[in-house]
Amino acid sequence: MLDAGISYVEYDGFLPSGAASIAPSVRWDHPRGRGFVSARGTYLRFESGNRSLDFSARGSFFVPLARRWRGELGGGVGASDYASIARFSHGIVDARIHLMDQSRGGWLATSVGRSSFGDGPRPVAVIAMGVWLLGNDASIFASIDRSFVGDTAYSDLRSSARVQRGGIQFDGTLGARVFSTGAGQGVYGEASALVPLGRSTALIVAAGRYPTDVITGSIAGRYVSAGFRLGKLGFSRPARPQQPQAVIPYSSGGAAGSGSPAGARLEIRTRGGDEPVQFTLYAPGAVAIEISGDFTDWQPIQLQRSATSRDAWEGSFRIARGIHRINVRRDGGAWMAPAGTTRSADDFGGEVGVFLLP
Amino acid sequence: MILTVLLLMTQVAVQDPRLERLDPETRSLVVSVVDSARAAGLPSEPLIQRALEGVTKGAQGPRIVAAVRRLATDLGTARGALGSGATAPELEAGVAALRAGAGPQVLTQLREARRPPLTMALAVLADLVTSGVPVDSASAIVLAFAPTARDADLVEFRRAVERDISLGAPPGAAASVRALNTGIRSTTDAAVPPGQPPRPPSRP
Repeated sequence: MLDAGISYVEYDGFLPSGAASIAPSVRWDHPRGRGFVSARGTYLRFESGNRSLDFSARGSFFVPLARRWRGELGGGVGASDYASIARFSHGIVDARIHLMDQSRGGWLATSVGRSSFGDGPRPVAVIAMGVWLLGNDASIFASIDRSFVGDTAYSDLRSSARVQRGGIQFDGTLGARVFSTGAGQGVYGEASALVPLGRSTALIVAAGRYPTDVITGSIAGRYVSAGFRLGKLGFSRPARPQQPQAVIPYSSGGAAGSGSPAGARLEIRTRGGDEPVQFTLYAPGAVAIEISGDFTDWQPIQLQRSATSRDAWEGSFRIARGIHRINVRRDGGAWMAPAGTTRSADDFGGEVGVFLLP
Repeated sequence: MILTVLLLMTQVAVQDPRLERLDPETRSLVVSVVDSARAAGLPSEPLIQRALEGVTKGAQGPRIVAAVRRLATDLGTARGALGSGATAPELEAGVAALRAGAGPQVLTQLREARRPPLTMALAVLADLVTSGVPVDSASAIVLAFAPTARDADLVEFRRAVERDISLGAPPGAAASVRALNTGIRSTTDAAVPPGQPPRPPSRP
C-alpha cells in the first residue's frame, strides 16, 4: 500500500509549512488470526527543502482464545531522522490481555522499552487499559494510559469512533493529556475521511491536532492533509504528517516562569560593563513598590514612580553577573516573585524570583 | 574563661556586620555555619545572603539556620561535582542546577565539556528546568551546547525558549526545537548576537 499526499502543517515552535509526503507500508496477517507484522516508512519534504524520514515496524502474536480471554505479545521498533540533524529511535515490547465477546471487549496492557534521542536512551514504561464496542457500521474505542519516559510522565485519555456511511469511512479521535510531568497537557482531536475511488484507490482527507508522542519523538502540531492511497484499502488510519524532527519530551506550558500572580512585571535592562542595571516594574494601581534581593543585601528599597507612566516603577542597581534572587512587595503586602523572573520556592515557605544577569 | 571571652570577641570582630540583623542566638548559629563553610573553602557570601533573605521575610531563627545549613551542604555538593577550582558564582549556579533537579554527574560532565567559567551554562540549565523543561532534556541540550557555544549564545537560547513558553509552547518542545534551530545543528553560527532582535520561528 502506498499513501501519497500534501499537507499544511504547523508544528509547535515552527511556522506553518506546506509539505509533500510519500508513505509505503506493508502488512502480513496470519491466516488464522494468530498475529501480524507491519512496517511503514514515510518520506516528508517541507517547503524549506528539509526532509524527514521515518520508519516503524510492529508485530504481535496472539495466543488462542480461551473462553473470552486472549493474550497478546507484541513489539515495535522505529527510527526517524530530520534533515540529518536529529535522530530518534525506540524499541518497545508489550503484553496485553483481552477480554472480549462478539461486539464488545476490553484490554489491559503494559509496555516496556527504550527511547533514544541522540546518545541519550531513556527507559519507557506504559500501562494502559481500554474498552471497545463494535456495531454494524460503527465502532467506538476508549482508553486511558499512563506513560513514563525518563523523567517524563503523563496520562492520555482517548476516545475514537469510526463510522461508515455511503462507502465513506469517517474516523474521529478526541483525547486529553492530563496528570502530566514534562509532557504537556491539553485536548487534542483529529478527523479523517477515506473516500474510495476504485477497487484499489482512495482519497484521504484529514485534519486535526495531535500531542507530542514522547516515545517516538513526534512533535505536537496541527495539520490539514489530502492524499491518495494506492493498494489494498482497509481501515488503517490516514497518514499523519510526520514530525519535522525528533524531539525530547514535550512538556507542559505554564510552568514556573514568566507568569506570576503578583500583579507586577519586572523588566531588567543592562547596558553592559559596570553600568547600573535598570529595573522597571509594572504594577498597575500600586501606591508603593519595594524591591529586595541579594543585590540589596535583602534590604527593602522603595522604587520611584516612573516619570512617564503611573503604572511603572523604576530603580537602578549595580549587580554582578550571574544568578540573583529577588522579591517585590506592593503596598506593604507579602513578598512575591515578580513576573519576568523565574519563580522558585525559597527556603522560607514562600517564593523567590530568580533571574540571570548575563 | 578569658580565652572564651577572647574567642567570642574574635568571632564578633570577624563576623559580617550585616548579620547584626539576626537575633543573637540565630546569628551565633549562622556564624558557626558560615565559619565552617569558609574553613572548608566554600564561599560565605551566598550563606550570608540566605540568612538576610530569611530575616527580610520574617522567618523564624531555626528556619533561617536550616536554610543556611542546607545551602552550605549544597555548595559542598556543587564543589564536589565542579571541582575545587570552581568560583563562587559557579558554585551558586551549580546549587541552582542541583536544586532544579540536575544530578552532580551532569555538573561534572559540564565541567569536562566546557572551559570555565561555567556560571552561565549552569544558570541556563537551572533556568530551563525551573521553567518546566524536563531535567534530562535540559541537561542533554546544555551539554550539547557546552563545548563551543558562547555564553551569549546560551543566554539567547534561554531567552528564546522563555519567549516560546510565554507564547504557550510546551517547555520541553520549546527547548528542543530551539536547540535544533540554533544550537545542536551548529552551536554558534545560528545564534543571534546579543542585543539583536530575536530570530523568529522558522519553517520546518
